[in-house]
Amino acid sequence: MKLLSTIFDSRSRRGLAYLLLVLPIDLLSFVLLMLGSLLGAVLLLTPLGTWLLALVLRGAAGLGGSRRDLAARMLGDRVPTPVRPVVAGIGLFGWRRAILKDPVSWRVLAYALIKPPVAVLSLALAGGFYLYGLISLIYLPFYENELGVEALGIMVTSVILLLLGPWMLRSVLAVERLMIRGLLGPTRANQRISDLQDSRDRAVKDADITLRRIERDLHDGAQARLIGVGMHLAIVRELVGAQAPTEQVVAAVDTAQATLTAAVADLRDLVRGIHPPVLDAGLEAALATVAAGSAVPVTVEIDLPRRPPPALESIAYFTACELLTNAGRHSGARKAAIRVDLRDDVLRLRVHDDGRGGAHRRAGGGLAGLSERVRVVDGSLVIDSPAGGPTTVTVEIPCPLAADPTDSRAGVLRDSGMAGTGRPGVVELAGSFPAARSGAGGSGSPARGGLADGSSVARVD
Amino acid sequence: MGGEMRVVIAEDSAILREGLAQLLSMRGHQVLAAVVDVPSLFEAVAVQAPDVAIMDIRLPPSHTDEGLRAAVRLRRECPGIGVLIFSQYVETAFVAELLAGGSDGVGYLLKERVVQLDDFVDALHRVAAGGTALDPQVVTQMFGRSRHREVLAEFTPREREVLALMAQGRSNTAIATAIRVSERAVEKHVTNIFGKFDLPPSDADHRRVLAVIRYLQN
Repeated sequence: MKLLSTIFDSRSRRGLAYLLLVLPIDLLSFVLLMLGSLLGAVLLLTPLGTWLLALVLRGAAGLGGSRRDLAARMLGDRVPTPVRPVVAGIGLFGWRRAILKDPVSWRVLAYALIKPPVAVLSLALAGGFYLYGLISLIYLPFYENELGVEALGIMVTSVILLLLGPWMLRSVLAVERLMIRGLLGPTRANQRISDLQDSRDRAVKDADITLRRIERDLHDGAQARLIGVGMHLAIVRELVGAQAPTEQVVAAVDTAQATLTAAVADLRDLVRGIHPPVLDAGLEAALATVAAGSAVPVTVEIDLPRRPPPALESIAYFTACELLTNAGRHSGARKAAIRVDLRDDVLRLRVHDDGRGGAHRRAGGGLAGLSERVRVVDGSLVIDSPAGGPTTVTVEIPCPLAADPTDSRAGVLRDSGMAGTGRPGVVELAGSFPAARSGAGGSGSPARGGLADGSSVARVD
Repeated sequence: MGGEMRVVIAEDSAILREGLAQLLSMRGHQVLAAVVDVPSLFEAVAVQAPDVAIMDIRLPPSHTDEGLRAAVRLRRECPGIGVLIFSQYVETAFVAELLAGGSDGVGYLLKERVVQLDDFVDALHRVAAGGTALDPQVVTQMFGRSRHREVLAEFTPREREVLALMAQGRSNTAIATAIRVSERAVEKHVTNIFGKFDLPPSDADHRRVLAVIRYLQN
């Protein structure tokens, strides 16, 4: 009984059902698409031909989609959907052009045309093992001869066939999976296009979020404070006009001054959040500054044989800032370490802390946002944070040697002595300043919190 | 200058809220409530029955345009109360929306106008008394919009100047002082403006409002 249940486990049953189900579908789609293609090919002599071919290809693409779904549902093999062709032209002609030039549809057509013999063979092989084995076993008792050598031979063969059944089925299904992956899934170029589309979408979204944040920070911060300065100057004027006591006037002037200081601090924070000037001097200097301002003591270790392009430096910098802020804010870490190196054309950033761990990617959370930002430049972010700590977040960004034409300032600043020059420099800085505003995901400067209750708005970062 | 006004303020920035309240009190006006969000604004309006409500556009919780929505609602529900939008944006779209329900007892001023306290209090008085006060910069931007250029091409430079001041909510006397001509001359310009907008003779104040709205919504 146990033997039977392993031979007919649910996976095998579903596999057999799949083979039985797709055989008629494959035969029917073969006939339809074959007829359509042949007719289309003949009609190519007339304008109708290309239209018919386009329709056939569109049908093939639809078939490809439903076959992918079926495979996903019955075989548990999820094949990504290829990118849809970009319709460049206008109207039906543009559509026809796009369909005819779309390699995805042609590959589905190829699949449909070569599939029937494969489908028949698959079912014959996999089904044959099961059927022959079963039937022989059932008929064995009715076998004419007494239990002779022949009957024994048949029994052994049947049992072997039955035992091999699942294996045969699996092999046959593996071939089917390969065909689906190869012909119905995205090609490598197609997959790359899809990845690039994703990362472009993320980049656009990210830029939009950044602009909104800057707008909001300016509106609620510096702009409001400057208006506040104007108001207090108006108050001073009123007080002077009314010949109010000096203390009152001085108090109003003090408020105006404090507000102005806060406005300037706001602007400085904002500027640093956009592009910290110290980053021009290289990651080493920039991260040392961040470490100095961190609430948690931080060790910074930089090993950069050459300088990464500015865009990557910036991403690495802001990622490090945010990870460090997280470590200080959420994990209760007592010390942290940043390590940056560049080996085999990969820029690697590692931020380690001895906090309580348990950090994970949450949809819409800070780590997910960082991960997205890193993916825009084909990078990856790996979180290793068991409950109880410690936490290590590793970011890897491809950083090929190819000269970057946008790196305009490199020549000027490389000689400044601040840039990474191949020596692994270790800077130990135990900061005692309040936590630095991360800039990337900043939420309220220290100055803001102190001055106004209502003006530090609930941010939805 | 008019008498003492009863004012409520909705502004989420503490420094601006308190500064504004202090300035208005110094000029002898009664600040009945200075609140941070829309629900407390409506509560204050219901309890205190002010002459005028001053509100920021961007208020909690979403910090988008709650203040503008509140202003539109307040004008609909309590037509007797003047509504002054106190804004950091030069956005004609906001002004047009605000004026869609008529231009009586409504104003839109940039926050920095407070610094010229006389003008600000003046504008607040106009709004409290059922008049209009639009920020000069917003009006200038409307003039700059290309859609207006065609209509405005018919106006003489002087008439444009008068129209802009009318749009700010100034009276003929105030306009006359501002551009240093006689009140009669201003009246003549205003009549010409009405003519060019095809506004039939009726109650003069009402026509002024119509002219401004036509101009804004053009």
